[in-house]
Amino acid sequence: MLEAATALGSVFLDPYLLFLIFATTIIGIVIGVLPGLGATTGAALLLPFTLTMEPVHAIAVLATIYVSATFAGSITAILINTPGTSAAAATTFDGFPLAQRGEAGRALGVAVISSTFGGVVSVIVLCFAAPLLARVAYEFRPPEYFALTVFGLSMLASISAGGAIKNLIGGVFGVWLSTIGAERVTAIERFMFGNYELYEGLGFVPVMIGLFAMSELLVQSKVANQAVEFVKMKAVQLPSREDYKKIWKTVVRSSGIGTFIGILPAEGATVASMIGYSEAKRWSKNKEEFGKGSIEGIAGAESANNAATGGAMVPTMVLGIPGSGTTAIILVGLMVHGLRPGPYLFTEQVNSVYQIFGSMFAANIMFLLMGLYAAKIFARISLVPINLLWPIVFALSVIGAYALNSSLLDIWIVLIFGVIGFFARRFGFAVAPIAVGLILGKMVEVNLQNSLKIFYGEWWQIFTQPLAVFFLILAFLGLCGSQIFAMITKSKKH
Amino acid sequence: MSLKSQIVPIFLTAVSLVIIYLALQLDLSPPMIVGDSMQPRAFPIFLMLLNLILTAALALRFYRHPPKDQEPILKITWLTMVLMVVFYALTVSIDMFVGISVVMFLMSLIWGQRSVLIAAANAILTPFLVFLLFDVVLRIRFPRGVITNWYYG
Repeated sequence: MLEAATALGSVFLDPYLLFLIFATTIIGIVIGVLPGLGATTGAALLLPFTLTMEPVHAIAVLATIYVSATFAGSITAILINTPGTSAAAATTFDGFPLAQRGEAGRALGVAVISSTFGGVVSVIVLCFAAPLLARVAYEFRPPEYFALTVFGLSMLASISAGGAIKNLIGGVFGVWLSTIGAERVTAIERFMFGNYELYEGLGFVPVMIGLFAMSELLVQSKVANQAVEFVKMKAVQLPSREDYKKIWKTVVRSSGIGTFIGILPAEGATVASMIGYSEAKRWSKNKEEFGKGSIEGIAGAESANNAATGGAMVPTMVLGIPGSGTTAIILVGLMVHGLRPGPYLFTEQVNSVYQIFGSMFAANIMFLLMGLYAAKIFARISLVPINLLWPIVFALSVIGAYALNSSLLDIWIVLIFGVIGFFARRFGFAVAPIAVGLILGKMVEVNLQNSLKIFYGEWWQIFTQPLAVFFLILAFLGLCGSQIFAMITKSKKH
Repeated sequence: MSLKSQIVPIFLTAVSLVIIYLALQLDLSPPMIVGDSMQPRAFPIFLMLLNLILTAALALRFYRHPPKDQEPILKITWLTMVLMVVFYALTVSIDMFVGISVVMFLMSLIWGQRSVLIAAANAILTPFLVFLLFDVVLRIRFPRGVITNWYYG
């Protein structure tokens, strides 16, 4: 415990790490305020830049991008009614009406304070929950891991965009992508079409950059000439005592909700902010104000979406199961830098783990300061013409993808997955399930193979393992729970 | 039921069947190596069978609630996709950074940038700065081409 606390505190004594967090917070906020460029795209673009860094520094950079971009989405949500990230969509409901009433500074002040509180609470929960979960995860063997990854994949059904069936199809497609390359046990080449650069499988990074950044570029081409309405603001105001009285319960509640939702595999900040907002409305004494500029609405959405960032890191680091698109990229970052995600991370590299947690804590404090004192400047960045911005994203995407393995094939992969991602989104499929499926795919297959070996080929023995059965029941409920619940309610009514 | 509303399930079914066919062409591993585990083809086939079931559910949903008609893809989006192919062709044949600059410049103009000068400045300065960053700070070597040959010597 003392070792963990020392590692956590050491972040604040490392000037280089603090500088990195400071610089990345600025980059994260810039990424967050630019509509279309969210935390996931930002992390995917920045991952190649972290290649030469120390593992802890690299993951701290990615985690800081996650935290700061998630918050920064609220700046444009409030000032131009365009959420910088999907997680800030709920903030537009009340943020923009409040800004139109001439209270943009107050709206941003509430957003900054709520986001910081949510973020800090979730990091504290992360510090305590992750080691506890790791202790449980030590007992996991291949059958349990297999069931757990199935549970993780089943949760894709409830990712906000798309719809259950479409998300599951995306997830299965992603798992299939993970089978490309030489099979682990027999070395038989699968779907390589004679291309030996694919022997180790599809690279995660180019696929991520393609699915998130390049597909977004094609989506953004539709709005190349769109004008935005910008609400002027004098300065960000700290909430008044009356405001604090009004929002504190909402902030505490939504922080808890956000952290819990973040912990659920495959759930992320977007779902958290929507639930945080609706719960704020449900418990409010001033329901009629919602949608017209309620500060409780802003606080509910913002504290929940930032709380989800810490929560989402729990399954990512402890189980190797990403809680969102961005954590999928952080997971790739962990693997690229030789930090094997899983419970052993908490015994073998406890210092690194707590330094990463400490970095997230520091990032929350940094964006509090920047949000309060520089939000006005950052908001101006959102007015950069997209006909200059997206060509830059294109350059960063292809150079970044090449840099990882010095392979031209990776550039092809970026372009191909950009087009696949664009058409998937066009037909209502979210791209995050494909990414999560790709990451979890290897885990599913390897643990299924190992389980079969343990049970001498008798696959049904998996169902004799209590923990595995528990996760499979959870997976079943995740897939069919809402339908069963609806059927029961319907039969009761009849 | 219109065929148009079922275009996505039809496409997904075709893809799944092609993958199953390709998986069936994979070599079989000797039982001594596979042991109690499964053949390399088994897992992808299982996945595609699962996808076929999900696609059937999607088709049923589209049958009951036909999806809204899509707006046609804009010319600007098609042109951007063409630029991606142009980029790859230039990278392979001339130089990666020439490809990036040309595509950035054309993309800016196609996307509505009126000033040729600004588009050109963006197209030259950005790749130059990113190149310097990757080369000097991250020490990454880029593929040989006209510019990189001159730079690396």
